[in-house]
Amino acid sequence: MEEYPEELRTPPVALASIVGCPELHHLISTHLLSEQPPINTLALPDLSKIHLFKKKRDPDSIATSPVAGIFKRDWLLKHRTKIPSVLASLFPSHHVFGDPAHWLQVCSDLDSIKTVIRGRNIKLAVVVVVQSNADEITEDRMLALRKRAEVDAKYVVVLNPNDTSELKQSLTKLASTFSELAGAYYREEGRRVKQRIEKKNLSSVELIVRYCFKVAVYAEFRSDWAEALKFYEEAYHTLREIVGVTTRLPAVQRLVEIKSISEQFNFKISTLLLHSGKVTEAVTWFRQHKNAYKRLVGAPEAIFIHWEWMSRQFLVFGELLETSSKITHGFSPIILGTSSKPLSEWEYYPAYYYQLAAHYLSEKRSALELSISMSETSKEIDNSADSVVPSAYVGQFARLLEEGDNVDMLPLTDEEYVRYAVSEGKRFRDSLEIIALLKKAYESYSSMKIHRMSSFCGFQMGKEYFAEGDISNAKQIFDSIASLYRKEGWVTLLWDVLGYLRECSGKNRTTKDFVEYSLEMAALPISSDTGVRRDTGPAGPANLIQREIVQKEVFELVSEASGLSTNEHLSNLKITGDELLQLEVDLVSPLRLVMLASVAFHEQTIKPGVSTSVTVSLLSHLPLTVEIDQLEIQFNQSNCNFFVTNAQKLQSVEGSNGIQQHRREIAPSLSLESNKWLRLTYDIQSDQSGKLDCLSVIAKIGSHFTICCRAESPASLDSLPLWTLEDCSQTVPIKDPILVLSGQKSTQVEEPDPQVDLHLGAPGPALVGEVFLVPVTLVSKGHDVYSGELKINLVDVKGGVLFSPRDSEPHTMDSHHVQLLGISGPEGEDDQLYSDKIKKIQQSFGLISVPFLKNGDSWSCKLEIKWYRPKPIMLYVSLGYTPFSNELHAQTVHVHKNLQIEGHTAIVLNHYYLMPFRRDPLLLSKNKQASESDQSESLPLNQKNVLIVSAKNCTEVPLRLKCISIEVEDDAERTCSIQHGNEEISNPALLVPGEEFKKVFSVSSDMSSSKLRLGTVCLRWRRDLGVEEKSTSTSTLSWVVTKQNLPDMNLVLPPLIVSLECPPYAILGDPFTYFIRISNQTQLLQEVKYSLADAQSFVLSGYHNDTVYVLPKSEHILSYKLVPLASGMQQLPKFSMTSVRYSAAYQPSNSSNSVFVFPSKPHFKIAASTNSRVESIANE
Amino acid sequence: MIVCVAVVGHQNNPLYIQSFTEADDALKLHHIVHCSLDVVDERVNNPKKSGPMLNETFLGLLYPIENYKVYGYLTNTKVKFILVSTDLDVKDADVRNFFRRFHAAYVDAVSNPFHVPGKKITSRTFAERVSTIVRSFGLSSAG
Repeated sequence: MEEYPEELRTPPVALASIVGCPELHHLISTHLLSEQPPINTLALPDLSKIHLFKKKRDPDSIATSPVAGIFKRDWLLKHRTKIPSVLASLFPSHHVFGDPAHWLQVCSDLDSIKTVIRGRNIKLAVVVVVQSNADEITEDRMLALRKRAEVDAKYVVVLNPNDTSELKQSLTKLASTFSELAGAYYREEGRRVKQRIEKKNLSSVELIVRYCFKVAVYAEFRSDWAEALKFYEEAYHTLREIVGVTTRLPAVQRLVEIKSISEQFNFKISTLLLHSGKVTEAVTWFRQHKNAYKRLVGAPEAIFIHWEWMSRQFLVFGELLETSSKITHGFSPIILGTSSKPLSEWEYYPAYYYQLAAHYLSEKRSALELSISMSETSKEIDNSADSVVPSAYVGQFARLLEEGDNVDMLPLTDEEYVRYAVSEGKRFRDSLEIIALLKKAYESYSSMKIHRMSSFCGFQMGKEYFAEGDISNAKQIFDSIASLYRKEGWVTLLWDVLGYLRECSGKNRTTKDFVEYSLEMAALPISSDTGVRRDTGPAGPANLIQREIVQKEVFELVSEASGLSTNEHLSNLKITGDELLQLEVDLVSPLRLVMLASVAFHEQTIKPGVSTSVTVSLLSHLPLTVEIDQLEIQFNQSNCNFFVTNAQKLQSVEGSNGIQQHRREIAPSLSLESNKWLRLTYDIQSDQSGKLDCLSVIAKIGSHFTICCRAESPASLDSLPLWTLEDCSQTVPIKDPILVLSGQKSTQVEEPDPQVDLHLGAPGPALVGEVFLVPVTLVSKGHDVYSGELKINLVDVKGGVLFSPRDSEPHTMDSHHVQLLGISGPEGEDDQLYSDKIKKIQQSFGLISVPFLKNGDSWSCKLEIKWYRPKPIMLYVSLGYTPFSNELHAQTVHVHKNLQIEGHTAIVLNHYYLMPFRRDPLLLSKNKQASESDQSESLPLNQKNVLIVSAKNCTEVPLRLKCISIEVEDDAERTCSIQHGNEEISNPALLVPGEEFKKVFSVSSDMSSSKLRLGTVCLRWRRDLGVEEKSTSTSTLSWVVTKQNLPDMNLVLPPLIVSLECPPYAILGDPFTYFIRISNQTQLLQEVKYSLADAQSFVLSGYHNDTVYVLPKSEHILSYKLVPLASGMQQLPKFSMTSVRYSAAYQPSNSSNSVFVFPSKPHFKIAASTNSRVESIANE
Repeated sequence: MIVCVAVVGHQNNPLYIQSFTEADDALKLHHIVHCSLDVVDERVNNPKKSGPMLNETFLGLLYPIENYKVYGYLTNTKVKFILVSTDLDVKDADVRNFFRRFHAAYVDAVSNPFHVPGKKITSRTFAERVSTIVRSFGLSSAG
């Protein structure tokens, strides 16, 4: 696009000229340029220059003279820069309105201007410059001025440069006047030229083209794009028609002229279409243009001119499309041309045009090369081409003849012109241009993710680079596109690219690359002739023979390390004596085709020191058989590495390897045939436990060349990328059908069998609260134990952890239910000795080091575990040790043991309260509770109560009880006094399984508080040691403390208390008095209804029913005389009472309501009572 | 004249590619076929653009390259057929007809119990049948 002249590339801008008052010119021209649409200004300082606009020739003479060309090169430029559409004459106001002499001057100036511009029909405007507002403007002089200038009143503009407010307005008026006049001028000019076309009596068709062009340009000047387009198209079509008609110039030059003009037309039309957003029309237009001229190749010797022209068409359109797509932001792809000739979306991509431009440019280059070679053979060397210059008409050339000052243009013959064109063509390096074009296309396609197309451009680009000798660029591009072809399996294309790459690395003298590319080529799946014979790159034709040739070449290269290569191809490449060429083949390398190693152990796990088989399978797709000198199989345990040597090449390998510490196997033959597995099976054993993994298989071919293949498992063997598509039978690396599916390149070496016994002894279920000892014993039976380590783990049997944050209770100090407290050393030894060896004790995990044990020795320790909750746990103990003191053989052996231990609650504590005998308070809350069932019980306030605490042995072992006491937390305030406190039992009581121990406390509550806070029952106990009980001193034994919180009791003031008073016993027939004492504790008078039921065994005297009033804080005593009628335990008459105020009924409990009746008066012996206040009552 | 036909598999790998040209520009034709896969991809991935061609196996003209026209066809199993022709004025009906016959030949070839799906088609019968179809291309409408 840049080669086009400026005036063609930009839309035309109207031109106006101003004359006179030069001091205002700058102001006016800047303003006009900033207008929309802008107007260019041609400023003439005075009238002397006005003759420039004078028409040189009579217009009629053109029609008669023969047409020399279609249009002149400078015509457009002339109209854009030299010939104005409007001429504005500026006069100072004092010249117009002042002195008559000045007025005369103005008149003569106007006359001279009019004569000049009349020939060209340039429009005239008059500007009167007023210096100040004081200047008088007389109407009649103004009228005279208009008459003299022959202009309308609106074309006379008054301009006052000193008045800023009016200046703006008058400048705008000036601009609108100018644009109106310019429009009129271009319209008239266009109409005038159009009339000539319509007359149709033109002497030649060229003139029609010329006139159409002019009309279109004039239309463009006034921004009438539709008309411009119409006439450009008409000019274009007319031009196309005259191709075969005109004979004005010699054939070659004629075509050149037409093409260059049509090129300009095409450019204009495409630009106009694209700028109006009609992308589809533009693309269709361009396709039409391309098709119209594609066949017009012209004379064979000048064919390169055609290709160059074609290339330029594509380039320019591509550039136009690219710039317009930036502006219009894409296009609607749905409308793809007409149905008969649909446009493909490709034609909307600038890259497509760049690609084709490059294509035509390469056509041009080859045609040009042909022409050059032809011209060189003819040996016509003359310098006539030097003086050829473009002539006045577009697309024409002429010879410049200088004879002194006289310059003349002579027409050229076709031969001369072609020679000129060839010499011009030689000056350019087309390949650089081609590369630039292809690069544009390549990048554009890549950015749109059209990878195959961009690869194709890249391929062409690489070829150009290669031809140019730019090897590094070529290699880079070829490398990037080879990966796509590899991925998609386009073998023929890959073959070609690899051929270039091979050649590039050959030129770069990178031997390793060369070998890699060559081997990959040789291993490509090309079996039959693909039909690609000619037009191949350096790779040569893709067929089996060529593959073999490539392989032979490369093996010659690597084997002949001395560099005595006979092939001129390879003369650049050498492998010097010491250098070792090693190719790495991993899972993604394209060289997997060359060599693939699959390794399978026959067993998944092996014992240390026991041998198993390992199969190494190699596969190559090289067309010729490869002789391997030596294979090295490498493992992660390097002492397992071994070599396999080819028996036939034993001599050469031994000489080079020297002393080997690894195992060496000898195979009768190591020849790798094409597409056939080479399977080798050897024994292998490892002394080291852990994973034995085969890392790689290194094949040594010749003395300097190795291929290192990453070992692959047959089970996960990826199929080879390209060969899977081939229709050839697939073989498996191992014959064993199971190993094919499951074979792995690694095996697990187990650790040696442990020869140490680990015993866990537990005496039975553990009791909650005690420190439970689990003895652990190690007995070595055949191994020494070095750096032994004992790991202890406590795990919940149900699988959960021994931790529950939810129900943490106050008596579990931490949240663990079972805790490993510590590990005590072996009995009889000093604990201190081992305390520093204990590495780590956590709540459910412990780690302890075991001292060195000789074979046959034993060692033991005790685990201290404490239960906080009854819970079964699983104890895991594992011992890890090494049987050897040598650090190198750090083979740890593990012994695992586990034991389930139950945890039981040892003692269950219970408690209950009792009131004093035959004394019942009326507890209002108790009555309420009966209905509401509140759990917290109530006790009467200010009364003596009895608390009985019982401890029951729930275990299966006898326990010893030391004491039961009630303790108060430090911070809590005791709200009662307790008698029979915290004395220890001097001789710990034996509690056999199931037995219950009771202790009675008497509790009297304080007056003040409403809550009875007793504290915690604290029980100290331990297991009964049985026979040893006597012998061990009690002081050393640790007592287990079990605590249980006593719930708080509510204290209620009873309003009434009923006490039944009767003798401790009665005698048959002997009357006694039965008092019922009702005591009112309140400040109120209490009305009490009571009744006494008859009893069978007694005769009574007194009221059965009555209502009494008990005064505040006093007692009312009911007394009855009873005579027992039957002996034995007898129920007293049942008393019941109702408090009217509280509407609460009350009945004493049954137990306090009976008395024993003796048949006759008994006689008692008084027994000695013990001092001990503790009463132990055995129930059952 | 048809200069090249190709069968392209799922991974855009060539299953069968045969050129019918004396000019020995087979490599270029391979390139053209390969590039045309971009267009097929685009048509398949952006069915909106192709509009009415939705659900049709015949993809029509893929892209115009100098001197060649490339047509595409996509079977229901996503196997692509590519046709490269030098005729600049080809009737759509002819191409459709060609692809229909070609498809039938392909189906017969892959129905061979000894053919492994996804592998290259090496059947000689298929090759012969294809060359017959290629030779008769355009004759039906002319006759």
